[in-house]
Amino acid sequence: MNMFGSVMSNQELDGIHKQSISILEEVGVRIRSEKALGLLENEGAQVDWQEQTVKIPRELVEKYLKLCPKSFTLGARVEKYNLDMPGRISTINLDGTGTRVRDFHTGQRREAVLDDVAKAARVFDAMEEGTVLWPPVVAHDVPVGAAGILGAATAFLHSGKHIQDEIKKEKEVYYVEQLLTAMTGSLDEVVRRKIYSATYCTVAPLSHDKEMLEGTMALTRLKAPILMYPMPASGSTGPASLYANIALANAEILSSIVIFQATTPGTPLIYGAALGAIDRRSGAYLEGSVETALQLTAMTQMGKYYGFPTIVAGCLTDAHEMGFQAAMEKTLTCLPLVLAGCDVVQGAGFLESSMTLCLEQILLDGEILKCCQRMARGVDTSSEKALMEEIGRVGPGGHFLKEKSTKALFRSDEYFSPSLSVREPYESWVSLGSPDMIRQGRAQVEKILEKEITHPIPERTEKVIREIMEEAGREL
Amino acid sequence: MEPMELFEIMRKAVLEGEEEEAVKWANVALEEGLHPQEIMDQGFLVGIRQAGELYEQEEYFLPDLVCAADAMKAALEVLDHALKKAGNKEAGGKTVMLATVQGDVHDIGKTIVGAMLTANGWNLVDLGQDVPNEEVIQAVEEKRPDILGLSALLTSTMEEQKEVIQMLQEKGLRSQIKVMVGGAPVNQEWADRIGADGYAESAVSAVKLAQELIK
Repeated sequence: MNMFGSVMSNQELDGIHKQSISILEEVGVRIRSEKALGLLENEGAQVDWQEQTVKIPRELVEKYLKLCPKSFTLGARVEKYNLDMPGRISTINLDGTGTRVRDFHTGQRREAVLDDVAKAARVFDAMEEGTVLWPPVVAHDVPVGAAGILGAATAFLHSGKHIQDEIKKEKEVYYVEQLLTAMTGSLDEVVRRKIYSATYCTVAPLSHDKEMLEGTMALTRLKAPILMYPMPASGSTGPASLYANIALANAEILSSIVIFQATTPGTPLIYGAALGAIDRRSGAYLEGSVETALQLTAMTQMGKYYGFPTIVAGCLTDAHEMGFQAAMEKTLTCLPLVLAGCDVVQGAGFLESSMTLCLEQILLDGEILKCCQRMARGVDTSSEKALMEEIGRVGPGGHFLKEKSTKALFRSDEYFSPSLSVREPYESWVSLGSPDMIRQGRAQVEKILEKEITHPIPERTEKVIREIMEEAGREL
Repeated sequence: MEPMELFEIMRKAVLEGEEEEAVKWANVALEEGLHPQEIMDQGFLVGIRQAGELYEQEEYFLPDLVCAADAMKAALEVLDHALKKAGNKEAGGKTVMLATVQGDVHDIGKTIVGAMLTANGWNLVDLGQDVPNEEVIQAVEEKRPDILGLSALLTSTMEEQKEVIQMLQEKGLRSQIKVMVGGAPVNQEWADRIGADGYAESAVSAVKLAQELIK
C-alpha cells in the first residue's frame, strides 16, 4: 500500500473546523478594506466599522465552501506542464519574495537582482518534479513598485511552467492582465488556461491587509486561482499551542474563502499554509522546526478535509548554509507533507527561513522531494510483485540478477534513481575527487545555465512582454 | 511597610512580569513617601536587570522578558508622572522611539526589539504599526529621542525607511538623531544605501547597536 502520513484523525479535523468557526463567529477578523467589509455586510455578516472587524456566521462559511471549485488545472505556458489539481503525487515549487541570494560564483550572500529570477527559473524549468514556479526573489535592481510584475514577467520568459506570484496592490492587476493576454492571445484564453495564480497572505493574527486584499480581489475577474496562505507563528503572531495555531490559521483561510467567493463566485481557490514557530528566546521565525512540520502537515490534512487542492510550505530550513542542518530540516518538513498528500510543496531552493535563494539548493531539494515521492508510493503488494516463480526458480542460494523481472523492475518506478546522491565505493569516490551532493548540484546548475533556454517565448510575444515590463517599470 | 520590603515586592513584580502589581506597588511606595528615583533604583531596576540576566542565562524565554519589560514600563509611567508633578524632569536615561513604517501592519518584530531595549534600561516610545511618515517626523520633533528605530517586514514597505530618513534630512533633524533599521528583508547594504546609522538582524543585536550608536 501507499505510505500515508497524518497528525490528526478525522474527528480531530472536525474539531479544528468547529473551533475555526467559533473564532469567526465570536472573535471575528479585522479587514482593513471598506470594499471587503461592505461586501460581507451585504452578505449578512456583522461588521464593526469603527474597529474594521467582522464576525462571520457559520452559514456564510458553509455557503461559500460549497461554491469553491474542488478541482481545476493550473495551466502552463508550455501546455505539457499543465498541472491537474488535486494531483496524483506531490510536486514542488520554489518559495517567493526572498530578498537575498547566495551568489553562485562567489558563494557570498548578496541582495537579489532580476537576473537571479531568470537563472532560478531556468534551473527550475529543468526539474521534472518542479511544476509551479513562484519568482523566488524580489529584485533590488529595478524600481521597488515594479519588482513584482518584472519578476513574474521574467519567470514567464525563462520557464514554460505555471507561474505563481502575488498581487501587492491593485494597480498591478492591469499589468498581469496585459502579460497573460500577450502570452495566451486573448482574455478568454487567460481565463480558460490559468497560467498564472496568486498567493494571498493574511496577516496573523486574524487580519486582512488592504492593499494585498483589494489587489487580489481585483484579480478574481481573471478567474486566476488564488492560494490562501496564512502564516501565524505559534507563540508570537499565533497562540502557543500547535492545535490553537492551526485552528486560527484555518479561520484566516475560511474568512478568505468567504471574501473571494463573495467577490467573484466560483473563483478557484487553493488551500495553503506557511505556519511557523518562533525561537523562544530571540523571537526569530522558524521554518525548519519539527513544530513547523507538524503544523504544516495538519494544514495539508485540513485542506484535503475540505476537498481543496493544496500548496503548503515545506522543504524548509533556517540554516545559513547548505549542509547537514539544511538537509535534515528540509527532509523533515517535506516528507510528512508528501505523505499527507500535499499537491505542491512550496519552499525549494531557499536557505535562511526562505530569505536567501541558492541555485544548487533548488536541485538538492528536488532530490529530497523525489525521495519523498518514492516513499509515498510505499510497497506495491499487487500479485505481479509477489515473484513467487522467480523465488522458486532461484531457490536457496544463487542470485536474482539474471531474472527478467529484475531487469524490468530496475527500470521501473519500483526504484528511485537519484541524480545527486553519491553511491560510489570509497576508492572510486576518491578517484573522482571526493564528490558530494552539493558539488554534484553545482555541476548540474552549471550545465543547465550553459544551455540555451529550453522553452523560449516567440520573438514577437517577447517583444510585447518587454514593452509591458518597461511600462510597468515606469508606472509602478 | 518597611522600604526594604517594598523594594523586594517591586523587584519581584517586574521580574515576574506582573504589570498591575508593579503599578500598584509603585503607587504604594509613593504614598509611603519614598522618592521616585529611589523606588526605581532599588526596586524596579533591580528586577529588570535580573530578568535580563535570566534571559542571558537561558532561563528566561522571550515572553518572560516581554512581560517584565511591560511591567517595568508601567511602573516607569507612574514614577515619571510623580516626578513631573514634583516639578522634576523625567527619570534620566536614553530614549529610543520605534515604529513599523507606513503601509506595514507587521508589529511583532518591533515589539520584541522594544521589550529588549526596555529590559536594558532604555526609555521606549513605541509609535505602533503602519505609522504615517509624517507622524514619525512629528513625534521625533516633539519627543526628541536619541534613537529612531524603523521596522519593515515587506519588500514593498522597506522604501518608507528611506523616505523617513530623507524627511528627517529635509526638516534638519537628521543630525540630531541616530536611525536604526530592521525587518526580515532589510540588511546592512540597504541600511548603508539609505543612510541609516545602523542595522540589526535580531532584537539582541539591536540592543548592542543602540548602545554603540549613542557612545
